[in-house]
Amino acid sequence: MSADDPQQVPRAKGGRAPDVFEPGGWVPMRSHSQDEEVDFVIVGTGAGGGTLACKLAEDGFSVVAFDAGPYWRPLEDFASDEHHQSKLYWTDERITAGANPIKLGANNSGRSVGGSTVHYAMVALRFRPEWFKARTRLGYGADWPIDWQEMWKYYTEVEQALTISGPINYPWGPRRPRYPYRAHPLNEAAKLLARGAEALGIDWTETPIATLSAPKGKAHRCVYRGFCVTGCSTNAKQSVLNTWLPRALTAGAEIRDLAMVGRIEVDKAGRATGVHYHREGAWHFQKARNVVVAGYAIETPRLLLNSACEQFPDGLANSSGLVGKNLMVQLNQAAWGQMKEEVRSYKAPPSLTISEHWNYEDRGKDYFGGWAYMSQGPLPITWVKELAGQRGLWGQRLIDEMARSNHNVGLKMVGEVLPDERNRVTLAEETDRFGLPIAKVEFSYSDNDRAMMKHALSFMDDSLAAVGATERWKEWDDTCHLNGTARMGDDPKTSVVNADGRSWDIPNLWVCDGSVFPTVGGVNPSLTIQAIACRTADRIKALSARGEL
Amino acid sequence: MASEVDTAPRTAARLLAAGASTLGVSVLLDSAMEHYRGSFRNPAMALPLAASAISIAFDGSGRGGGFPRTASHSASVAIGLTGLGFHTFNVFKRPSGLTFNNLFYGAPIGAPGALILSGLLGAASDRLSGDGGALGSGRLLAGLAAFGIFGSVGEAGLLHLKGSFQNPAMWLPVTIPPLAAASLAVDAMTGVPRPWTTALLGATALVGTVGVAFHAYGVSRNMGGWRNWRQNLLAGPPMPAPPAFAGLAIAALGAVLLMRRARG
Repeated sequence: MSADDPQQVPRAKGGRAPDVFEPGGWVPMRSHSQDEEVDFVIVGTGAGGGTLACKLAEDGFSVVAFDAGPYWRPLEDFASDEHHQSKLYWTDERITAGANPIKLGANNSGRSVGGSTVHYAMVALRFRPEWFKARTRLGYGADWPIDWQEMWKYYTEVEQALTISGPINYPWGPRRPRYPYRAHPLNEAAKLLARGAEALGIDWTETPIATLSAPKGKAHRCVYRGFCVTGCSTNAKQSVLNTWLPRALTAGAEIRDLAMVGRIEVDKAGRATGVHYHREGAWHFQKARNVVVAGYAIETPRLLLNSACEQFPDGLANSSGLVGKNLMVQLNQAAWGQMKEEVRSYKAPPSLTISEHWNYEDRGKDYFGGWAYMSQGPLPITWVKELAGQRGLWGQRLIDEMARSNHNVGLKMVGEVLPDERNRVTLAEETDRFGLPIAKVEFSYSDNDRAMMKHALSFMDDSLAAVGATERWKEWDDTCHLNGTARMGDDPKTSVVNADGRSWDIPNLWVCDGSVFPTVGGVNPSLTIQAIACRTADRIKALSARGEL
Repeated sequence: MASEVDTAPRTAARLLAAGASTLGVSVLLDSAMEHYRGSFRNPAMALPLAASAISIAFDGSGRGGGFPRTASHSASVAIGLTGLGFHTFNVFKRPSGLTFNNLFYGAPIGAPGALILSGLLGAASDRLSGDGGALGSGRLLAGLAAFGIFGSVGEAGLLHLKGSFQNPAMWLPVTIPPLAAASLAVDAMTGVPRPWTTALLGATALVGTVGVAFHAYGVSRNMGGWRNWRQNLLAGPPMPAPPAFAGLAIAALGAVLLMRRARG
């Protein structure tokens, strides 16, 4: 164990934090004592927590943000090696159950300062406006307590902060401002999606993604290395780690890495007083006026449930009984095929083109919800696992198939799963290395999910056929992202938090991550999570100004 | 005055030759780098290198005329026209044809135009070394140079839009040269060269020169900087491109000189 192993020894301490833009570099960081009652403790530094930490610090609040994961410097800590880079995933023990237990790790978790944005696919999509009123306008799921016009403003803020590279004109939905940077060149896989869409008579476009097509400050532009989903080693990827958090530090936020929060303390008056966290081999307690939980859709309900106490025996913020319920993954099924010519789909970011046609078109569907599909570029280990696990290839057949993987082409969906209380996160009997009960995650596909998969797989297969792909096959079982489990709403009886992410039960306890989503839509959630975080920060500022915190 | 009558066409011819040479060097290096990046996949991608190299040799040698020179300039024009066809085809064969993304990342649609201009300016220089003919008034050449500068502005504008104008200096080639070209175009129509046209053309030449330094800085901002020059020279902004502005501005100054002479 090296003294500078960020997985073993915290880096952010002693008044400094790692400079993510310089190998071995440091930036100053304000430090707070544990006895100091800080304005906000934030549990998690991903898309929700990291963004909120930045915004609140910039608004002048004192902030301490905790993350269970290490504080990486991408330029020196990331290797072009899928196996090694699995260090970015949350692989602590969890129990998965239900009729279709979900695979946890690469596609739906992160254990790093910056959260899963450190290894996300960077796809930065806005919701379809109607989804914010899915129940009223489209007849399924639940309404959000937020209006789409308001969200449009926050989407713009996030797109600017992440310097999204996107098309000059976006073909779907209401007008949006121009993306800050231009779209990237298309790799062959992306062009094949485009030609397929043209053949089927639907729109396609360059995917708006959070990686730079031109330099920005100390960040280089993308070199099209293609290891995006195992962590970008050039800083072209615009993650929470290298966008919001450097700003947060400048504004005076403190970040504590390798700090696992195990319990939120609540006083007799029913207000949160701070958090118990484990760091450097011991438990500590940080006092706070407000606690924000931003651990994503498994760790957020786990912490709320693990913090059960005399006043709140069923867990914090759980008077509705909905903490942990309505877990929503997204469908991530794919169609694959072989091209005569070389495709080398793994070069460049994996999802350079997209069609959101079936997010905006409801005619011809025998199910609720929407889905988008994007070009794909699986790295070798991911691809060998798909071939072995999903297609059942082994031995010489697997070797032969891998030998021609340069000709492989695929399309993958991100599809909307409807909220269902039977899909949920609960606590198991078993405990982890901190002595905390681990999460049990139950998930089953619904008939609606299966109908959507069927339609999407058939459509994507048609698109591949239209560009001349042969030996086509369908990958029926994959999911991505996690949302729900602490739903926001207008009614304390049917939601966990209000539109501001504020708990109905404990006024100084907040949730700020994908857990608050009442519905997930058919787009990757990171942009919406960050937009919600920006909105939450603005609301907190406004409430504070009115003395209502 | 008699002495002016004698020297102005020769000086103008030299300026035109210098402009054509500068443009030729820009074309040679730029097409060499870009076509190397494209692995010379089509053998025709070697043609602009050959054409520009030969014309540089002629334009740089000063006095001249005769069949080999004329053939060289004609070849530049013909290869440039062919290049326009190839580059246009390259853009249109991509998904959805004429889109911003295809214009950004396909073969640069206007770039071969520089080779055409280099050939035309070289031929004009040769002609002026002789009797000058209809070119003697300078107005036609001024119009040609203005057209060329506008074309280069279009290309720089497109590529700097691709780079999202991330550095404020990226606005320079889309602000100063168009003013110079517009002023020059007006002068070509009226036949009256104004002093500030000369000043703007000087500024355009300067933009083309410092542009190399800006592009060198742009190269350094890619992953690995100049230590990784073999990759970043190709991935970064094209260092040989900005001198095209300088070449056209120098040639335009030759045209201005002719117009001044014609005005007496």
